[in-house]
Amino acid sequence: MTLSAESQKTVDAYLAALRKQLRELMDEDVNDIVAEIRAHILDKTSGEAAGDSVSSTLAALGAPEELAARYRTEELLKRAQMSRSPAFLLRSLLRWATLCLVGLLVFTISLAGYLIGGGLSILGVLKLISPHTTGLYGEFSEHTWSLSFSSGGQPAPGVHELLGWWLLPVGLILGPLLFFYTFRFDLWSLRKFWRPRAWR
Amino acid sequence: MQQNPESSEKWEVQLRKGSLELAILASLWEGRLYGLEILRHLETSSDLIVVEGTAYPLLNRLRALGLVDTEWVESDSGHPRKYYRLTAAGRRRAMEMSSIWARFSASMNNLLEPMDREKSKQTGEEKP
Repeated sequence: MTLSAESQKTVDAYLAALRKQLRELMDEDVNDIVAEIRAHILDKTSGEAAGDSVSSTLAALGAPEELAARYRTEELLKRAQMSRSPAFLLRSLLRWATLCLVGLLVFTISLAGYLIGGGLSILGVLKLISPHTTGLYGEFSEHTWSLSFSSGGQPAPGVHELLGWWLLPVGLILGPLLFFYTFRFDLWSLRKFWRPRAWR
Repeated sequence: MQQNPESSEKWEVQLRKGSLELAILASLWEGRLYGLEILRHLETSSDLIVVEGTAYPLLNRLRALGLVDTEWVESDSGHPRKYYRLTAAGRRRAMEMSSIWARFSASMNNLLEPMDREKSKQTGEEKP
Protein backbone atom coordinates (compact mmCIF):
# COMPACT_ATOMS: atom_id res chain seq x y z
CA MET A 1 0.00 0.00 0.00
CA THR A 2 1.68 3.16 -1.11
CA LEU A 3 0.70 6.69 -1.83
CA SER A 4 -0.14 7.89 -5.29
CA ALA A 5 2.65 9.66 -7.09
CA GLU A 6 0.99 13.00 -6.56
CA SER A 7 0.46 12.48 -2.82
CA GLN A 8 4.01 11.25 -2.51
CA LYS A 9 5.18 14.51 -4.05
CA THR A 10 3.10 16.55 -1.59
CA VAL A 11 4.48 14.60 1.37
CA ASP A 12 8.06 14.91 0.13
CA ALA A 13 7.64 18.66 -0.31
CA TYR A 14 6.22 18.95 3.22
CA LEU A 15 9.10 16.97 4.73
CA ALA A 16 11.70 18.93 2.76
CA ALA A 17 10.21 22.21 4.00
CA LEU A 18 10.17 20.88 7.58
CA ARG A 19 13.82 19.82 7.30
CA LYS A 20 14.78 23.25 6.05
CA GLN A 21 12.94 24.99 8.89
CA LEU A 22 14.57 22.76 11.50
CA ARG A 23 18.11 23.62 10.42
CA GLU A 24 18.92 25.25 13.77
CA LEU A 25 18.70 21.91 15.56
CA MET A 26 21.34 19.20 15.57
CA ASP A 27 21.56 17.11 12.40
CA GLU A 28 20.84 13.80 14.11
CA ASP A 29 17.76 15.32 15.75
CA VAL A 30 16.53 16.68 12.43
CA ASN A 31 16.85 13.28 10.72
CA ASP A 32 15.03 11.62 13.59
CA ILE A 33 12.21 14.18 13.59
CA VAL A 34 11.70 14.08 9.83
CA ALA A 35 11.69 10.26 9.78
CA GLU A 36 9.15 10.18 12.61
CA ILE A 37 6.81 12.67 10.94
CA ARG A 38 7.14 10.71 7.70
CA ALA A 39 6.18 7.47 9.49
CA HIS A 40 3.24 9.30 11.08
CA ILE A 41 1.96 10.51 7.71
CA LEU A 42 2.32 7.05 6.17
CA ASP A 43 0.54 5.40 9.12
CA LYS A 44 -2.36 7.78 8.86
CA THR A 45 -2.77 7.64 5.11
CA SER A 46 -1.67 4.24 3.84
CA GLY A 47 -1.64 1.70 6.67
CA GLU A 48 -4.28 -0.94 7.32
CA ALA A 49 -6.12 1.19 9.91
CA ALA A 50 -5.64 4.27 7.80
CA GLY A 51 -8.21 6.25 5.97
CA ASP A 52 -7.17 9.83 6.34
CA SER A 53 -6.29 11.87 3.32
CA VAL A 54 -2.82 13.30 2.90
CA SER A 55 -4.16 16.85 3.00
CA SER A 56 -6.07 16.39 6.27
CA THR A 57 -3.08 14.66 7.87
CA LEU A 58 -0.76 17.48 6.89
CA ALA A 59 -3.32 20.03 8.06
CA ALA A 60 -3.46 18.36 11.50
CA LEU A 61 0.32 18.59 11.76
CA GLY A 62 0.25 22.27 10.83
CA ALA A 63 2.34 24.09 8.28
CA PRO A 64 6.04 23.06 8.24
CA GLU A 65 6.99 26.50 9.62
CA GLU A 66 4.56 26.15 12.54
CA LEU A 67 5.61 22.60 13.34
CA ALA A 68 9.30 23.54 13.22
CA ALA A 69 8.60 26.58 15.40
CA ARG A 70 7.04 24.27 18.02
CA TYR A 71 10.12 22.05 17.98
CA ARG A 72 12.29 25.12 18.48
CA THR A 73 10.14 26.36 21.36
CA GLU A 74 10.37 22.97 23.04
CA GLU A 75 14.13 23.10 22.55
CA LEU A 76 14.24 26.43 24.41
CA LEU A 77 12.06 25.05 27.20
CA LYS A 78 14.36 22.07 27.47
CA ARG A 79 17.41 24.29 27.75
CA ALA A 80 15.80 26.33 30.50
CA GLN A 81 14.83 23.20 32.39
CA MET A 82 18.21 21.58 32.05
CA SER A 83 20.38 24.52 32.96
CA ARG A 84 19.19 24.30 36.56
CA SER A 85 21.34 21.25 37.04
CA PRO A 86 24.99 22.15 37.80
CA ALA A 87 26.23 18.77 36.53
CA PHE A 88 24.65 19.40 33.14
CA LEU A 89 26.06 22.90 33.15
CA LEU A 90 29.64 21.75 33.66
CA ARG A 91 29.33 19.00 31.08
CA SER A 92 27.96 21.36 28.48
CA LEU A 93 30.62 23.95 29.26
CA LEU A 94 33.33 21.39 28.67
CA ARG A 95 31.77 20.38 25.38
CA TRP A 96 31.23 24.00 24.43
CA ALA A 97 34.90 24.76 25.12
CA THR A 98 35.99 22.32 22.43
CA LEU A 99 33.70 23.94 19.86
CA CYS A 100 34.49 27.62 19.67
CA LEU A 101 36.46 30.50 21.11
CA VAL A 102 33.60 31.90 23.18
CA GLY A 103 33.07 28.50 24.72
CA LEU A 104 36.75 28.14 25.54
CA LEU A 105 36.81 31.61 27.08
CA VAL A 106 33.75 30.97 29.25
CA PHE A 107 35.14 27.61 30.30
CA THR A 108 38.54 29.08 31.25
CA ILE A 109 37.01 31.95 33.21
CA SER A 110 34.62 29.69 35.05
CA LEU A 111 37.28 27.09 35.80
CA ALA A 112 39.41 29.84 37.35
CA GLY A 113 36.37 31.15 39.23
CA TYR A 114 35.48 27.75 40.64
CA LEU A 115 39.08 26.94 41.60
CA ILE A 116 39.80 30.29 43.29
CA GLY A 117 36.34 30.40 44.90
CA GLY A 118 36.65 26.82 46.10
CA GLY A 119 40.26 27.32 47.24
CA LEU A 120 39.42 30.44 49.27
CA SER A 121 36.48 28.67 50.90
CA ILE A 122 38.66 25.74 51.91
CA LEU A 123 41.36 28.10 53.26
CA GLY A 124 38.73 29.95 55.28
CA VAL A 125 37.59 26.72 56.87
CA LEU A 126 41.16 25.59 57.51
CA LYS A 127 42.00 28.92 59.14
CA LEU A 128 39.11 28.32 61.47
CA ILE A 129 40.33 24.84 62.39
CA SER A 130 44.02 25.48 62.59
CA PRO A 131 44.67 29.24 62.69
CA HIS A 132 48.42 29.17 63.23
CA THR A 133 49.48 27.01 60.34
CA THR A 134 47.07 28.35 57.75
CA GLY A 135 47.55 31.50 55.77
CA LEU A 136 48.11 32.97 52.41
CA TYR A 137 51.85 33.41 52.04
CA GLY A 138 53.58 35.41 49.39
CA GLU A 139 57.19 35.77 48.40
CA PHE A 140 58.00 38.76 46.28
CA SER A 141 61.53 39.53 45.22
CA GLU A 142 63.40 40.25 42.04
CA HIS A 143 63.63 36.57 41.20
CA THR A 144 60.48 35.01 42.52
CA TRP A 145 56.91 36.01 42.74
CA SER A 146 54.92 33.28 44.34
CA LEU A 147 51.87 32.64 46.42
CA SER A 148 51.42 29.64 48.66
CA PHE A 149 48.57 28.58 50.87
CA SER A 150 49.72 27.18 54.12
CA SER A 151 52.91 26.44 55.90
CA GLY A 152 53.57 23.91 58.60
CA GLY A 153 56.22 25.71 60.57
CA GLN A 154 58.08 28.97 60.48
CA PRO A 155 57.86 30.69 57.11
CA ALA A 156 61.12 31.04 55.21
CA PRO A 157 62.81 34.46 55.22
CA GLY A 158 61.32 36.83 52.70
CA VAL A 159 57.94 35.12 52.79
CA HIS A 160 55.11 37.18 54.25
CA GLU A 161 51.73 36.27 55.42
CA LEU A 162 49.38 38.36 53.35
CA LEU A 163 45.98 38.39 54.96
CA GLY A 164 46.29 37.26 58.56
CA TRP A 165 42.89 37.02 60.20
CA TRP A 166 41.34 38.64 57.15
CA LEU A 167 41.59 35.22 55.58
CA LEU A 168 38.54 34.19 57.60
CA PRO A 169 36.00 36.63 56.13
CA VAL A 170 37.68 36.61 52.73
CA GLY A 171 37.67 32.83 52.61
CA LEU A 172 34.27 32.20 54.10
CA ILE A 173 32.36 34.99 52.37
CA LEU A 174 34.28 35.90 49.24
CA GLY A 175 35.03 32.26 48.36
CA PRO A 176 31.40 31.05 48.23
CA LEU A 177 30.33 34.33 46.61
CA LEU A 178 32.89 33.89 43.85
CA PHE A 179 31.72 30.31 43.39
CA PHE A 180 28.09 31.39 43.19
CA TYR A 181 28.71 34.23 40.77
CA THR A 182 30.79 31.99 38.54
CA PHE A 183 27.79 29.69 38.39
CA ARG A 184 25.52 32.63 37.53
CA PHE A 185 28.02 33.75 34.90
CA ASP A 186 27.89 30.30 33.32
CA LEU A 187 24.10 30.34 33.17
CA TRP A 188 24.11 33.81 31.72
CA SER A 189 26.68 33.07 29.03
CA LEU A 190 24.98 29.82 28.07
CA ARG A 191 21.68 31.64 27.60
CA LYS A 192 23.32 34.50 25.77
CA PHE A 193 25.81 32.81 23.48
CA TRP A 194 24.86 29.17 23.24
CA ARG A 195 23.32 28.21 19.92
CA PRO A 196 22.19 24.67 19.12
CA ARG A 197 23.81 25.16 15.75
CA ALA A 198 27.20 25.16 17.40
CA TRP A 199 26.67 21.71 18.86
CA ARG A 200 28.20 19.70 16.09
CA MET B 1 -25.92 38.69 31.06
CA GLN B 2 -24.03 36.39 28.70
CA GLN B 3 -20.35 36.01 29.51
CA ASN B 4 -17.84 36.04 26.74
CA PRO B 5 -17.60 32.32 25.91
CA GLU B 6 -14.24 32.73 24.27
CA SER B 7 -12.40 33.41 27.51
CA SER B 8 -13.59 30.15 29.07
CA GLU B 9 -12.48 28.31 25.99
CA LYS B 10 -9.05 29.91 26.12
CA TRP B 11 -8.76 28.88 29.73
CA GLU B 12 -9.62 25.31 28.84
CA VAL B 13 -6.97 25.28 26.12
CA GLN B 14 -4.35 26.43 28.63
CA LEU B 15 -5.51 23.78 31.07
CA ARG B 16 -5.17 21.04 28.48
CA LYS B 17 -1.79 22.28 27.40
CA GLY B 18 -0.55 22.26 30.96
CA SER B 19 -1.65 18.70 31.58
CA LEU B 20 -0.48 17.23 28.27
CA GLU B 21 2.95 16.34 29.62
CA LEU B 22 1.44 14.26 32.42
CA ALA B 23 -1.11 12.72 30.03
CA ILE B 24 1.65 11.56 27.69
CA LEU B 25 3.83 10.18 30.48
CA ALA B 26 0.79 8.38 31.91
CA SER B 27 -0.09 6.81 28.56
CA LEU B 28 3.39 5.24 28.47
CA TRP B 29 3.06 3.81 31.97
CA GLU B 30 2.20 0.31 30.82
CA GLY B 31 4.67 -0.05 28.02
CA ARG B 32 6.17 1.36 24.87
CA LEU B 33 4.05 3.07 22.22
CA TYR B 34 4.81 4.97 19.05
CA GLY B 35 3.60 8.52 18.45
CA LEU B 36 0.33 7.76 16.73
CA GLU B 37 -0.51 5.09 19.32
CA ILE B 38 -0.02 7.65 22.09
CA LEU B 39 -2.37 10.05 20.30
CA ARG B 40 -5.00 7.33 19.82
CA HIS B 41 -4.62 6.17 23.41
CA LEU B 42 -5.26 9.71 24.65
CA GLU B 43 -8.29 9.98 22.40
CA THR B 44 -9.90 6.70 23.45
CA SER B 45 -9.15 6.62 27.17
CA SER B 46 -9.79 10.28 27.82
CA ASP B 47 -11.41 13.08 25.90
CA LEU B 48 -8.04 14.70 25.51
CA ILE B 49 -7.84 15.30 21.82
CA VAL B 50 -4.32 16.30 21.14
CA VAL B 51 -3.25 18.27 18.14
CA GLU B 52 -0.61 16.22 16.39
CA GLY B 53 1.60 19.20 15.73
CA THR B 54 1.80 19.75 19.50
CA ALA B 55 2.43 16.20 20.64
CA TYR B 56 5.50 15.39 18.55
CA PRO B 57 7.57 18.42 19.60
CA LEU B 58 6.62 17.74 23.22
CA LEU B 59 7.70 14.10 22.89
CA ASN B 60 11.01 15.34 21.52
CA ARG B 61 11.55 17.49 24.59
CA LEU B 62 10.64 14.65 26.96
CA ARG B 63 13.28 12.56 25.21
CA ALA B 64 15.90 15.31 25.44
CA LEU B 65 15.15 15.63 29.16
CA GLY B 66 15.73 11.91 29.62
CA LEU B 67 12.17 11.18 30.74
CA VAL B 68 11.52 8.86 27.80
CA ASP B 69 13.75 6.67 25.65
CA THR B 70 13.16 6.09 21.97
CA GLU B 71 13.92 3.23 19.63
CA TRP B 72 13.19 2.62 15.99
CA VAL B 73 11.41 -0.66 15.38
CA GLU B 74 10.73 -2.25 12.00
CA SER B 75 7.07 -2.93 11.28
CA ASP B 76 4.93 -4.81 8.76
CA SER B 77 3.80 -1.54 7.27
CA GLY B 78 7.10 -1.18 5.43
CA HIS B 79 8.54 1.69 7.45
CA PRO B 80 10.09 1.68 10.92
CA ARG B 81 8.29 3.39 13.80
CA LYS B 82 9.75 5.40 16.63
CA TYR B 83 8.68 3.90 19.96
CA TYR B 84 8.73 5.76 23.24
CA ARG B 85 9.20 4.21 26.65
CA LEU B 86 9.48 5.74 30.11
CA THR B 87 12.93 5.83 31.67
CA ALA B 88 13.41 5.42 35.42
CA ALA B 89 13.48 9.21 35.69
CA GLY B 90 10.32 9.38 33.60
CA ARG B 91 8.51 6.97 35.89
CA ARG B 92 9.56 9.00 38.91
CA ARG B 93 8.42 12.23 37.24
CA ALA B 94 5.06 10.73 36.28
CA MET B 95 4.52 9.57 39.86
CA GLU B 96 5.40 12.99 41.27
CA MET B 97 3.17 14.75 38.78
CA SER B 98 0.26 12.46 39.47
CA SER B 99 0.44 13.11 43.23
CA ILE B 100 0.61 16.84 42.60
CA TRP B 101 -2.40 16.47 40.31
CA ALA B 102 -4.35 14.53 42.94
CA ARG B 103 -3.60 17.06 45.64
CA PHE B 104 -4.43 19.99 43.39
CA SER B 105 -7.71 18.58 42.11
CA ALA B 106 -8.79 17.57 45.63
CA SER B 107 -8.30 21.09 46.98
CA MET B 108 -9.90 22.58 43.88
CA ASN B 109 -12.96 20.35 44.26
CA ASN B 110 -13.14 21.35 47.88
CA LEU B 111 -13.18 24.98 46.86
CA LEU B 112 -15.82 24.39 44.20
CA GLU B 113 -18.17 22.50 46.48
CA PRO B 114 -20.56 25.40 47.19
CA MET B 115 -20.96 25.92 43.45
CA ASP B 116 -21.64 22.23 42.94
CA ARG B 117 -24.39 22.33 45.58
CA GLU B 118 -26.00 25.21 43.74
CA LYS B 119 -25.74 23.41 40.43
CA SER B 120 -27.41 20.25 41.78
CA LYS B 121 -30.13 22.38 43.40
CA GLN B 122 -30.83 24.04 40.05
CA THR B 123 -30.99 20.78 38.14
CA GLY B 124 -33.14 19.32 40.95
CA GLU B 125 -35.64 22.14 40.57
CA GLU B 126 -35.75 21.85 36.82
CA LYS B 127 -36.26 18.11 36.76
CA PRO B 128 -39.79 17.65 38.16
